[in-house]
Amino acid sequence: MKLINRKKYYGYLFIAPFIIGFLLFGLYPVYNTLALSFTNTTLMVREGSFVGLDNFKRLFADNFFMKAVGNTWLIWLMNFVPQIGIAMLLSVWFTSQRLRLKGVGVWRALFFLPNLLMPAAIAGLFFSLFSYYGPINQFVVRAGFLEEAMHFLQNVPVTRGLVVFIQWWMWFGQTIIILMAGMTSIPIPLYEAAMVDGASGWQMFRRITLPLLKPILVYIFVTSLVGGMQLFDIPYLLTDGRGSPQSSILTNNILMYSKFASSKGHIGAASSVGVLVFIMTTICALSIFYFLRDKDASKERKEAKKRQALLRKVRRDENA
Amino acid sequence: MRKQILLVLSLILVLSVLLAACGGSNDAANNDAANNDMANNDAANNDTGAEPDMDEEVTLNVWSFTNEIMTMAVAFEERYPNVDVVYTMIPMTDGEYQTKLKASIGTDDVPDVVALEAAFVKEWVEADFLANLNDLLPYTEELQTYPAVVEVGTHDGVAKGFSYQSTPGGFFYRRSIAEECLGTQDPAAVQEMVKDLDAFIETAATIKECSDGDYYMVGTSGAMLNPFLANRSQPWIVDDTLVIDPQVEEFVDFAKLFRDEGYESQAEQWSEGWFAGMNDSLVDANGTPKKIFSYFLPTWGLPYVLIPNSGDTGGDWALINGPLPYQWGGTWVGAMADSPNLDWAKEFVKFVALDEENLTNWATGVYTNEYLKAIDPETPDDQAQAPGDFVSSAVVVEKITDQFDGSELYEWLGGQNNYKAFGDAAPKVNGALLTGSDDAIQRALQSQLEQYLLGEIDKAEMWNLWLEQVRNEFPELIIPDAPGS
Repeated sequence: MKLINRKKYYGYLFIAPFIIGFLLFGLYPVYNTLALSFTNTTLMVREGSFVGLDNFKRLFADNFFMKAVGNTWLIWLMNFVPQIGIAMLLSVWFTSQRLRLKGVGVWRALFFLPNLLMPAAIAGLFFSLFSYYGPINQFVVRAGFLEEAMHFLQNVPVTRGLVVFIQWWMWFGQTIIILMAGMTSIPIPLYEAAMVDGASGWQMFRRITLPLLKPILVYIFVTSLVGGMQLFDIPYLLTDGRGSPQSSILTNNILMYSKFASSKGHIGAASSVGVLVFIMTTICALSIFYFLRDKDASKERKEAKKRQALLRKVRRDENA
Repeated sequence: MRKQILLVLSLILVLSVLLAACGGSNDAANNDAANNDMANNDAANNDTGAEPDMDEEVTLNVWSFTNEIMTMAVAFEERYPNVDVVYTMIPMTDGEYQTKLKASIGTDDVPDVVALEAAFVKEWVEADFLANLNDLLPYTEELQTYPAVVEVGTHDGVAKGFSYQSTPGGFFYRRSIAEECLGTQDPAAVQEMVKDLDAFIETAATIKECSDGDYYMVGTSGAMLNPFLANRSQPWIVDDTLVIDPQVEEFVDFAKLFRDEGYESQAEQWSEGWFAGMNDSLVDANGTPKKIFSYFLPTWGLPYVLIPNSGDTGGDWALINGPLPYQWGGTWVGAMADSPNLDWAKEFVKFVALDEENLTNWATGVYTNEYLKAIDPETPDDQAQAPGDFVSSAVVVEKITDQFDGSELYEWLGGQNNYKAFGDAAPKVNGALLTGSDDAIQRALQSQLEQYLLGEIDKAEMWNLWLEQVRNEFPELIIPDAPGS
């Protein structure tokens, strides 16, 4: 009995470094951000005073915050839907027992490559490509698609579209790798059995791949959502760092940064943006968990509990 | 027993000597401090006796956003071998420098000396973190530092920063295009043709007609923002209220005119097309070569921007004052009030900005890489200061102007002395218009202006979007109604 206890104790010891690191570098900053968001602290004046909910009221009074939230969701959704769709299609092809494609490793590496580039370099590249005197304008005008050169990065749909495209292009390779890892862990005999039964490719995907991939999908959903809500580098660097044109690519984090980097460094006001984004992301992530939870498993668990309770009751009755 | 007594006695002796030594040095330090105080007071009477203790070993932390001042830091070590200058360069591309500096306040990491760029120098001069440098003011009189330079570094009568540069703006134009379209390339005659805004617009029309629209008066109308703003009657912010001067509205109309009439190439400042115009490699989307007649650039624009991008157009350029006097950029140097080595920090500021020998060396190319390497062998290979930066002292400028006759820069400008041209413009610059928030306000305006110029939004929308953006970044500012509403 004692031995078992000591072993349990070792477990805690082994995870202690992570827990301590998390409390120090994860939880404390969150707490500190929350505390700062109720003050008017700036970098130039360290000791801010408590202002209650003023920062939050201000956020909702300006229409910048809602605009930023709207932009962030729009950009994330427009990039996430095609990203998961195309990644899923390619992963199915790459892992298919029927197709047995050659050079899968090479393709996978090629698709992943954009992810290794620096966002700053990518933003700079697209800025130059789409500038007024840039190569894209030279091409579309000389090929006769446009009458005259246009300011691509001053056009709202084009600029948003570019951000969406860059995000998709940078991240779909990563999603393919994760999806393929998930798919290859599904036992092949399941597919073989399905093939013997005469199932079509779609049926196998729908009935075998998707259900067994659910945990992986939840992971991709949540990480992509968290990343998407914190989208910053590409839209910040692509235009003027203020979400121009017309604040169309102003995201949550650009808004937060602009408050932080303003003349006096309003860290209190910036924190309030961070807090709201945190709350929003948490709610969404939890609902993803809820809706994609394994319903059968949780039902089983509940029934098992019931059974145990019943068993205990029966035993108690017997003892009595 | 005797041995023990001897031991005790000798210990007491050693201790007393040590104590005496300490006491002595304390006294000496106090005396020095007193002397310094007196010297500082004397400095007001133009006495140069404020030199700090030369035997003291000091480490001075200097922060900047370029490696420019490192050259002077090495030269400083030559004059004061007892001082070790630790130079830290933090880029300011996206405001990293400002953020890091703000974050260092009140911590042990606070530097002794800081470099402050025109875009944010006022923010710091208006705050309480820089040391009072009023005892250095007499030197500005001695060197006849341009008034705008001192004014920018002063708030409520307290001087907190000085600059080694003065950055009056100029108007650079292509001699060949002037000859072809305006009938003369002579700087005085061309100046007459752009002497005010009406003349400027007329000349823009002439150049467009003469080239069938293949030559543009300017790369972008945005280049005119600085000249327009320099002629406002009030700065952006007065008593916590945003001021929209009539000049701002005039600039918007001017920019719209230039866009609609096709007097500008639409290549934004610092974009590839804008640089391409400097060496005639600008080609529009149809493949037609285009040329840009002129660039509005200040003193530093010549060696750092125009010449490196000019390709083989050297010798075809000329420099005049243009329609409006203005200034653009510049680096100020201040001492942090929390610096543990304040005397030395002040000495450094004085050396960098208010020392005749240093300023002369700086402007005339004395600080070559070999020169710096001889002082500190660890100096990087590309660290050096080429001749030509325009310094802040009228005395030095006058003394060295003639040295630039016949120099490389002189040939590049088709036989013009840039130092002379800027020397005429420097005293006219107004330093009272700079505020700490200029950069953010102006960048926000230019974003929205571009949308208006393209016709994506109308003028009223432009003002509103801009004011909204300013309100977002400056929560404590009182924002007036949009013009025309």
